[in-house]
Amino acid sequence: MRLNSSGSTKTTFADKLVLLFFIALSLSSFFFVNEVLPQGSEVRIEVAGELKYTLPLSDDRIISVEGPMGTTIIEVKNKRVRVVKSPCPNKICLHQDWIERGAVVCLPNKVLVTITGPQQKKEIDGITG
Amino acid sequence: MMKFKLLLLLAVLPLSMLLLSCTSGKEKPYKVSRIAMDTLVSITVYARSEEKAEKAMDNAFKELNRLSDLLNFFSETSEVALINRSAGVSPVKVSKETFEVIEKALSVAEDTGGAFDITIGAVSSLWDFHKKTLPDPELLKKSLKSVGYKNIVLDKEHSTVYLKKKGMKIDLGAIAKGYGADKAVAVLKNNGIRSGLVSVAGDIKTFGAKPDGSSWRIGIKNPRPQSEGEELIAVLSLGNNAVSTSGDYERFFIKDGIRYHHILDPSTGYPASGCRSVSIITKEGVYTDAFSTAVFILGSERGMEVMRKIGLEGMIIDDEGNISTTEGMKGAVELVRKH
Repeated sequence: MRLNSSGSTKTTFADKLVLLFFIALSLSSFFFVNEVLPQGSEVRIEVAGELKYTLPLSDDRIISVEGPMGTTIIEVKNKRVRVVKSPCPNKICLHQDWIERGAVVCLPNKVLVTITGPQQKKEIDGITG
Repeated sequence: MMKFKLLLLLAVLPLSMLLLSCTSGKEKPYKVSRIAMDTLVSITVYARSEEKAEKAMDNAFKELNRLSDLLNFFSETSEVALINRSAGVSPVKVSKETFEVIEKALSVAEDTGGAFDITIGAVSSLWDFHKKTLPDPELLKKSLKSVGYKNIVLDKEHSTVYLKKKGMKIDLGAIAKGYGADKAVAVLKNNGIRSGLVSVAGDIKTFGAKPDGSSWRIGIKNPRPQSEGEELIAVLSLGNNAVSTSGDYERFFIKDGIRYHHILDPSTGYPASGCRSVSIITKEGVYTDAFSTAVFILGSERGMEVMRKIGLEGMIIDDEGNISTTEGMKGAVELVRKH
């Protein structure tokens, strides 16, 4: 801005460029913030390949789903998930107990519970073994 | 003053342009886990749009389901079941995929002096790790006579497989999942994905680097976690490679103080002793899967020899918890816990 002899202001070319810059910056920061701020982790519950529920991991609750063998009960508590009750013969899903990431799977009752969330740079991409 | 503003603009404008260009067209990770090949399969891809990622992953899962229909030991309608039912009777014409897996399984059998043997099926079907009971010793001894990969006859020209002896059974459980990971990766690539990871129950294949240039970080399970938070024993950096781990902690029961696990020695019919876990790294999942089982059966010393001879990288944790790694692994593996 330049003050002229009468005391009013006049927009110069540089002022316009500054304005343009701030518009560009605010637009880019919108994308940038979306990119870097962590989104809330979610719990996805699928039965026989069909998505039944998507729930926030931060809300404690108990959910029942019906699989081919009967009812599987899933608990979400303190940002962890576990299978509480399952009609399957081997109860492998129950023995897996609380998980904070990854998945609990019950093959006989075709129930899959996964925790999905933002990936951190140092996070593990997969587990072998 | 104006000069200063112009200079300021020249300095910061490229920055905002950079931010814009980095964020709007950047590839983002998409991850889906589903049940396929009778196990948990997770696929991660980097893509510019959700539609592209989902389409590619859907096609990869379809491929895994197709392979499962061909290779599943437990399904009566699979090609493997047909081969087993025709043992001692007639050769069976099979798909090129079934033929390829069996052909590669035989090459691993040759390389490991029969430590890896897909004809273990007659014996493995006697073990039930959920009921926690040992098979009848007499029955096991009798079934052991049906084990021997040299009695598999492959005819490449006619694409047939023949098991010479009645009662023989092939079980591709220790090779099919790694093969599945290879095939799923091929489908992802054909769908235009440049960077991704397929994990079929811990048989993992990765390709491309992440958009930030970093490699894939793969955790290796701790065979004997003592408490929560000890799930992993090491973390591995992987580029265009595959990794598989065979461990005595996956399916097992303990009876009279003895651990009975699912990795059976084809020469005895009983669980192999000497290792707690074996991880193998090489280009193809079909080989990491098979060799992790074979090296586990061979034990630490002989296993290392085979790895060196064939040029495989890997890590062995023996039955006392001692960790050995191949030369090429050093630098790529970061131990996160003492054992």
